[in-house]
Amino acid sequence: MRILAYLAKRLVFVIPQLLGIVLVSFLLVKSIPGDPAVLMLGPTATKEAIAALRQQLGLDQPLYIQFLIYVRNLMHGDLGTSWQTTRPVLDDLYQRFPATIELVTFSLLLAIIVGVTLGVLAARNPRGWIARVSDIYGLSAGALPDFWFALVLIFVFYTVLGWAPAPLGRLDVTIIPPSPMTGALTIDTLLAGDWQGFHSACAHLVLPVLTLGLVNAGPILKMTQSTMEKMLESDFSRYEVLCGVPQNLVVRHALRNALPSVVTIISVLYGFLIGGAVLVEIVFAWGGAGQYAVQGVLNADIYPVLGFVLFSAIFSLVVYIVVDLIYFLLDPRISN
Amino acid sequence: MDAVETMNKARSAPADTGKTPLIDIRNLRVTFPSGGAAPKTVLKGIDLAVKSGEIVGLVGESGAGKTTLARSILGVPPGPGRIAGGEVHFEGRQILSLSEAEFRRLRGRRLSVVVPNPRAELNPLLRTGDQIASMAKIHLGVNGKEARRLALQMLRDVQIPDPERRMDAYPHELSGGMAQRVVIAMALICNPAFVISDDATSGLDVTVQAQILALLTKLVAEQGSAMLFITRDVGITAHFCDRIAVLFSGEIVELAPREALFLEPAHPYTLMLLASFSHSPRLRDSWSVPDTSRRRELAAGCQYADRCPIAQPVCRERRPPFAENGPGHFARCHFPVRHG
Ligand SMILES: Nc1ncnc2c1ncn2[C@@H]1O[C@H](COP(=O)(O)OP(=O)(O)OP(=O)(O)O)[C@@H](O)[C@H]1O
Ligand code: SF4
Ligand SMILES: [Mg+2]
Repeated sequence: MRILAYLAKRLVFVIPQLLGIVLVSFLLVKSIPGDPAVLMLGPTATKEAIAALRQQLGLDQPLYIQFLIYVRNLMHGDLGTSWQTTRPVLDDLYQRFPATIELVTFSLLLAIIVGVTLGVLAARNPRGWIARVSDIYGLSAGALPDFWFALVLIFVFYTVLGWAPAPLGRLDVTIIPPSPMTGALTIDTLLAGDWQGFHSACAHLVLPVLTLGLVNAGPILKMTQSTMEKMLESDFSRYEVLCGVPQNLVVRHALRNALPSVVTIISVLYGFLIGGAVLVEIVFAWGGAGQYAVQGVLNADIYPVLGFVLFSAIFSLVVYIVVDLIYFLLDPRISN
Repeated sequence: MDAVETMNKARSAPADTGKTPLIDIRNLRVTFPSGGAAPKTVLKGIDLAVKSGEIVGLVGESGAGKTTLARSILGVPPGPGRIAGGEVHFEGRQILSLSEAEFRRLRGRRLSVVVPNPRAELNPLLRTGDQIASMAKIHLGVNGKEARRLALQMLRDVQIPDPERRMDAYPHELSGGMAQRVVIAMALICNPAFVISDDATSGLDVTVQAQILALLTKLVAEQGSAMLFITRDVGITAHFCDRIAVLFSGEIVELAPREALFLEPAHPYTLMLLASFSHSPRLRDSWSVPDTSRRRELAAGCQYADRCPIAQPVCRERRPPFAENGPGHFARCHFPVRHG
């Protein structure tokens, strides 16, 4: 019951939250220098042609009118058109957003496996060698630029060893992409029963996932380690030890108590990586949403940027709601 | 305390007359690291033996080292504490030298502890029934269903109201008294030979304290377990302890059978403890209230010298011996109080 009341309260705030985010990003995007009309028509365009295009795009209107028009169009599912791709932004994002989510999700899974495992092992034996490795790893993972790490991996596994496919997108060029169902190629190729395609999609994921996964395992590792250390020193863990509970079980119980903090950092990373993976997307020519938005920023193509912000915001809100539901499931003190 | 008296009468097992004690603590020393400087010695060589079926009280003010002793006996000193020396012989083995795996199997099974403030000690995410049952599952090797049956039986034994429902309650849903009963259930479910009750009734209101105490002594007596009963309140020990040890600043300063301790206390500190709890104005006046602010570690000599009203120069120079003043009655004092 508490869950339903909570969800209702949360959902009521979703629309105003999104509107606020759209407004702020609209103002920010509008402040980017560069006139789309000039960029679209090129250096040879006449003043009249530019003025005509500005009028056609609504750029001659006051800012608040432009905003209201944008919001009205949003209501009809129209996110505007990208002048670079000349396609509706919604269509572009449908294609690109899943590419980013697929990449980020697999990366995060790897980061969780590495981070939580090392964090638990390090906390379990704070003076052991794993704890020392974890300390170094937690520090250096935060200090490594991910695109640099990506370039190193490409050099080693593609250029030198030839094990990885060329860092040029999500599939071999010889493979016909499956008809999009979810947009995630690993799933779509499976649904289509296309084993070769599946294999190629996985192979292309390996290096970017390694890059993002290993770099972002750092914060998960640190959070797991510090929370687990706290839990293992807490009264209830010590009491379990006094009661002769085997260490494995004590650690498992401590992990359950540490989980809310770990889930929080994971959810923050998830939202952050949607945009934060952009450099890695560029290095691997991934064709993801972050790359699309950056192209928009660089070319005064505002609708892709706004569309990306809107999609990311919705994504983060969904993630946070799911996380809150997880808290409810994990902790009886919240749920009743 | 009427309940306690009646329960006391119900005790079946008198102190065992066998020669070897059930548990024999010898020269146990525990230190805490104190950043850079020499580690702080919190237990300064504890010697204490308990026979099977016997209840020994351990009395001491806050900070005397009672919890440290309780947990060190189980091989798990609190915080960064470290067992720096000594032995604990239990059921024929020196348990402090056991491997961690072997020692673990004793904890909660043969040796168990009842902790204070149990709401902080129980795992907040697990149902109480599961926490009690897990004791049986871990130590008795019974399956889940049997473990739950034992747990429910144990909840009935500790007289928790509505035990079926409490099985599914989370710790935060229990009152302090109920949580204390749950912890007692966990300590006793495997029928241990030795129970350590560490301040089990502190933080509860007086009527609940008396009930819990009555319950604990009754169950321990029924099981025939021995118990080390730790408390700050020397008065409580008068009701059911066979012998009483007085702990001061990490040392046992007096150890005596119950009657001897109350009627003929030999150590000035014990006298002070009894006086502050006694109703006799004469006693209270002659042994003034303790000045706890003046507590420093004395390298040599008697730990109590700073507060002792009859201290002499020699007290600060030589550590008093733990001398026998009567049958089974020991005190660590150069000038033990004479009676009669
Ligand atoms: N974590 C710790 N770090 C350093 N010193 C500690 C720590 N825990 C306890 N001590 C020291 O050990 C001494 C004994 O503490 P202990 O908890 O055993 O006392 P106690 O007799 O159980 O007191 P109380 O009646 O308040 O529970 C204290 O004086 C304190 O200085
Ligand atoms: S040894 Fe001296 S100082 Fe210590 S308790 Fe006895 S009389 Fe007091
Ligand atoms: Mg204590």
